[in-house]
Amino acid sequence: MIPLIFVFLCMLFLKSSALFPFTNPQKSTSIALGFILLFAFLFGKQINRFKLPQITGFILAGVVCGPYVMKFLSSTDVKGLQLLDGLALSLIALTAGGEMQISRLKGRLKTISSIVIFQTLVIVGGFILFGLVARSIFPIFSEMTAPTVFAFSLLLGILATATSPSTTIAIINETRSHGKYSDLILSVAVVKDFFLIILFAFSLSISMSLTSISRNFDVSFLLNILKDVGLSVGIGLVVGGSIILYLKYIKKELTVFILSIAFFTYQISQSYHYHPLLICLTAGFLVENFSAQGEKLILAIEKSSLPVYVVFFAISGASLNLDALKAGWLLALFCVLLRGAFKFLGTFFGAKLARDDTRVQKKSWAGFISQAGVALGMAIVIEESFPGWGGEFKTLVLAIIALNQIIGPVILQRFLVQSGEAEKKGLD
Amino acid sequence: MHVIYAFGLLILLAFLGSRLIIRRKRFLSPLTFLFLSGLIYIFVGFYLGRGVLNVLSLPVLQGLTPLIGLGLGWIGFLFGFQLELKYLRRFSGKYLGFSYLQFFFAFTVVFFGILFLLKILYASEPPFLLYGMALALGLLISLNSPTLINASLTLFPTRGQYFYLARFLVSVSGFWGVVGLAFLFSFWQFPFLESKVFISGMIRLLASTVFPVLLGFLFHYLTRKKNQEPDLLVYLLGLVFFVSGAAFYFNLPPLYLGMVLGITFSNLTKIQEKLYPLLLSTEKPLFIVFLILIGALWQFNIDYKIALLVVLTFVLRVISYTLSLPIIGRLLSFPLKLSPAFGLSFLSSGGIGVAFAVSLQLAYPLPLTDIFLSVALLSIITGEILSPLGLKYSLFKSEPEEKT
Repeated sequence: MIPLIFVFLCMLFLKSSALFPFTNPQKSTSIALGFILLFAFLFGKQINRFKLPQITGFILAGVVCGPYVMKFLSSTDVKGLQLLDGLALSLIALTAGGEMQISRLKGRLKTISSIVIFQTLVIVGGFILFGLVARSIFPIFSEMTAPTVFAFSLLLGILATATSPSTTIAIINETRSHGKYSDLILSVAVVKDFFLIILFAFSLSISMSLTSISRNFDVSFLLNILKDVGLSVGIGLVVGGSIILYLKYIKKELTVFILSIAFFTYQISQSYHYHPLLICLTAGFLVENFSAQGEKLILAIEKSSLPVYVVFFAISGASLNLDALKAGWLLALFCVLLRGAFKFLGTFFGAKLARDDTRVQKKSWAGFISQAGVALGMAIVIEESFPGWGGEFKTLVLAIIALNQIIGPVILQRFLVQSGEAEKKGLD
Repeated sequence: MHVIYAFGLLILLAFLGSRLIIRRKRFLSPLTFLFLSGLIYIFVGFYLGRGVLNVLSLPVLQGLTPLIGLGLGWIGFLFGFQLELKYLRRFSGKYLGFSYLQFFFAFTVVFFGILFLLKILYASEPPFLLYGMALALGLLISLNSPTLINASLTLFPTRGQYFYLARFLVSVSGFWGVVGLAFLFSFWQFPFLESKVFISGMIRLLASTVFPVLLGFLFHYLTRKKNQEPDLLVYLLGLVFFVSGAAFYFNLPPLYLGMVLGITFSNLTKIQEKLYPLLLSTEKPLFIVFLILIGALWQFNIDYKIALLVVLTFVLRVISYTLSLPIIGRLLSFPLKLSPAFGLSFLSSGGIGVAFAVSLQLAYPLPLTDIFLSVALLSIITGEILSPLGLKYSLFKSEPEEKT
């Protein structure tokens, strides 16, 4: 706690009005970056003491230090530091792909696919219905046309379906859980993310066509989506192949190599309107399952990614528009509750159809609440794709993610303890 | 070019660069050493920058300023981290005295020589600018890079006293120069010699020292207990960024603040062995990115005045080092007999010299700043090209029996 307070007081002093005449405000990005990296990380460690994941701490630290609360980071600083978004998202997608092991998926394929399909159907369908019903209730929808509300709800549903594999992995590792339920939750989280990224690519294109006056939805448009997704998978295979060759034959400077690959893949694919998350996920999947280099890849990412993640999550928190959140907190809370209910229903029906046991049917929904990287990445893509309402959408999603990140890990931890799979003492 | 592409391009170049710098046994050729020291990337940056391709244009460079800040702080930290009292205590007080006197001679000779020429060449410029430039070049020439001597370890399998003296001097000389830089930053205020220049200068110097010392203690506090490597990397990057960012924000020298952080931490911690691999793994790519950015920032223009200044700076460097060492040796009754040729071991300023020049260029955007950067970089590059030859005729002659 002492280092956290010390760093905070240092920044408070350095940013005090008494020192302002001696400063060079145009050069504040470096100090903002150093401060947020340290502060968010230390804050995450403190939050961890209360059995909450570090990511929640990073986001909250960003909110506290951002342009709406303490103003340690100006809007310009936040914009400048968003340079790292693409890098972080690619690394998250590469990791998620690398965690998808075919061997792990084989035995429980029926339950996994059933839960994934039912969760997706119930949540996406539920949110579309909710959007159409809530149009007259919540002010955020009041000025939107019917197709825009549909697009908004569709994308919200897709994002609500996502679970955070990285948080799930972190909680499973932290509680030292082993067994059927831990495996199931992790597999569903990872497979669902893969499935959702493809679904997201389709939904995004459909939403763009629905909200754009000039473009009509036709068969050629669908073919274009298929082409984009196919090419993204193709590029992912090429990127994955390059990573395998590099890890096998060159082996040196892995950190710089992975960072370069992640960054360029994201930026170039964004420029040509391919799907960067899908590309990186495919690449990670290929390396993990079709070569002996999967472990090396994950290790290289783990070695270098933490500073990038800390800044990424903290800046996401800092860019949270609190004014908009203030106006829409009720909707965010409502969405979180609704999502929880839909998660329960989707998991229940999926597991029942696959004839899995009662604990999976009634309790395993608790493993799918946490949300982080992929959902956040999608929100950022939506913000960039829909200048009209993308900002509001991202703010709402960030609020939902923040709430889910506080609740989700606690519920997951409780589930693992109750199922008897957590080996770590003192959690119950 | 959009700032993110430039950033990506830099990462790629850093990657390629770190692959290209190949350690070879027979390195004593000027061109190979230019690659080995990494200074070749200044030319790469220059080619990508405003001077030629304009891929790294001015707005892009402004967007990448945090990276330059990090580079400066990082170099300072790396340098300071090596200054462990435990290591320095192995040498007698005479070694430290030797180092200080060497710095003092080099600085004084270059300062007066350059000031004389500047007054002739730029007579119309305000005197405080000419004094500032002469002071900066004097301090710059007093800096030495340990890269060449460290890389020559394989050529001196049975290393003798001359080798150790040279290694000690190049390792420590930067300290005096960087402290001089802190003085320059603190007291060279505008308008010069205003009523409160001493008080405000002392406050700036104190702030430049106390802040990184406090953060050095914080770093030690954070790393007392066992930490995993990624956690250590976050602390390291966070603190170096915070220190160099604060320096940029308050117009203090990031190189000095980084060095003080490094010295404080390295003398408190017991995890040097754990931190060195981490520093080494990040050093090369960061250094290359930094040099490319510097090259891009460089508004190269050469005229007879700049050429004269470069030649004089180099000549004064050679004179100050060759003549001063035998004199200092006698003054301190040094146990080794030093010939003037021994001074030729000190022609390389390396990355720390570049960082020094850039610190000033970024802090003082004045009429003569671009000229200063050109003179500084050209002098450094000249020194780097000729330093392997210098080493050949100095250490090899001092310790001929040890030549492989």
